[in-house]
Amino acid sequence: MKIKIPSHLKKVRDVKVQRHELIDFESNVVSQYEDGKIRGPVHLSKNNENELIDIFQYVHEDDWVFSSWRNHYHALLHGIPRDTLMDMIVRGKSMSVYSDKPKFYSSSIVGGIIPLALGTARAQKMNDSKNKTWCFIGDMTFETGIFYEAYKYVCNHDLSLQFVVEDNNMSTNTPTDEAWGGKRDVPDDVIYYKYEREYPHHGTGNWILF
Amino acid sequence: MKYKDEIIRSMEWLSEKEDTIFLGQSVLYSGNAIYNTLKTLPEEKRIELPVFEEIQMGMSTGMALEGLVPISCFPRFDFLLRCMDGLVNHLDKMQHMTEGTFKPKVIMRTSIGSTSPLNGGVQHTQDHTDPIMRMLYEVNVVSLHEPKQIFPAFEEAYKTDCSTLLIERGDYYNEK
Repeated sequence: MKIKIPSHLKKVRDVKVQRHELIDFESNVVSQYEDGKIRGPVHLSKNNENELIDIFQYVHEDDWVFSSWRNHYHALLHGIPRDTLMDMIVRGKSMSVYSDKPKFYSSSIVGGIIPLALGTARAQKMNDSKNKTWCFIGDMTFETGIFYEAYKYVCNHDLSLQFVVEDNNMSTNTPTDEAWGGKRDVPDDVIYYKYEREYPHHGTGNWILF
Repeated sequence: MKYKDEIIRSMEWLSEKEDTIFLGQSVLYSGNAIYNTLKTLPEEKRIELPVFEEIQMGMSTGMALEGLVPISCFPRFDFLLRCMDGLVNHLDKMQHMTEGTFKPKVIMRTSIGSTSPLNGGVQHTQDHTDPIMRMLYEVNVVSLHEPKQIFPAFEEAYKTDCSTLLIERGDYYNEK
């Protein structure tokens, strides 16, 4: 899907990670999970490699990136080394991947990262930082009230917090549009893309005997 | 010194630190008892926020991740319940989740509403100290009963490398 990038954003990074590397990484996670080596839930990505590679050209290596339980692609593209990430995943930390350099934090609660991202963006402005904060959320999170409170504050206070909505129309297995009875329009300054989920909400789709 | 005067002294001491910032509703404009403990502080050290407690808690945590020490003011304990996700699931679990990499330092103030001379009723006077102490693992909880406790408690909250929730008692603003 062709993504509309807000005009105030400029390319700041030559993304080295390629599409097949992202896919291979998740395939490796699948193997380790199905071998019973990962003793925690995994939420796998697929079908949104091109969109994310495009977006991360605009994410500076010193920017904050906030993500959710489905964070492996974001982590790799922001510069967390593959081995470091895989080590965390094997230790059961797939849903809470973190790093202080590059700055990366993820939470496994819907909407939980939004206020945190607002806080780093507010502090960046107070400190006259040139860096931004990026917040990657799903379509159900986009529909929550906390997004709208935060978005209003970000706009009115001119904070450098860029929201990215990744729409697979699924919250676990609940179709977002059906549950809400419709969806809201996406503001022009929010980056948005649609994709179809290939893996299930969590796990690989196969029954694992530990 | 009296209870309220000790709080004012503590706030003035905290405001002298370069990395502190005070935020919440009624930190810049009058409206509750906490305002009266902040009104002597420089305006540039205070950020007036909308009523959005859940965001306020996460925002404070995010600011701390960037190296600031927010003094986040929740005028009543009853109102603090509106940000339990940010407090219990995020701020209080961050060291554990990041294996000690992130240690955000947020100083939270809240108050058990006074019952005299006016009684604010059950939505304005609840004391949740015991349950909140049982819920929090990484955030220190300090109940401020005596004037002499107050300054050392805020001093410790600033010097320690974790977050602290300090619980004041509105009735003591007049009584002690």
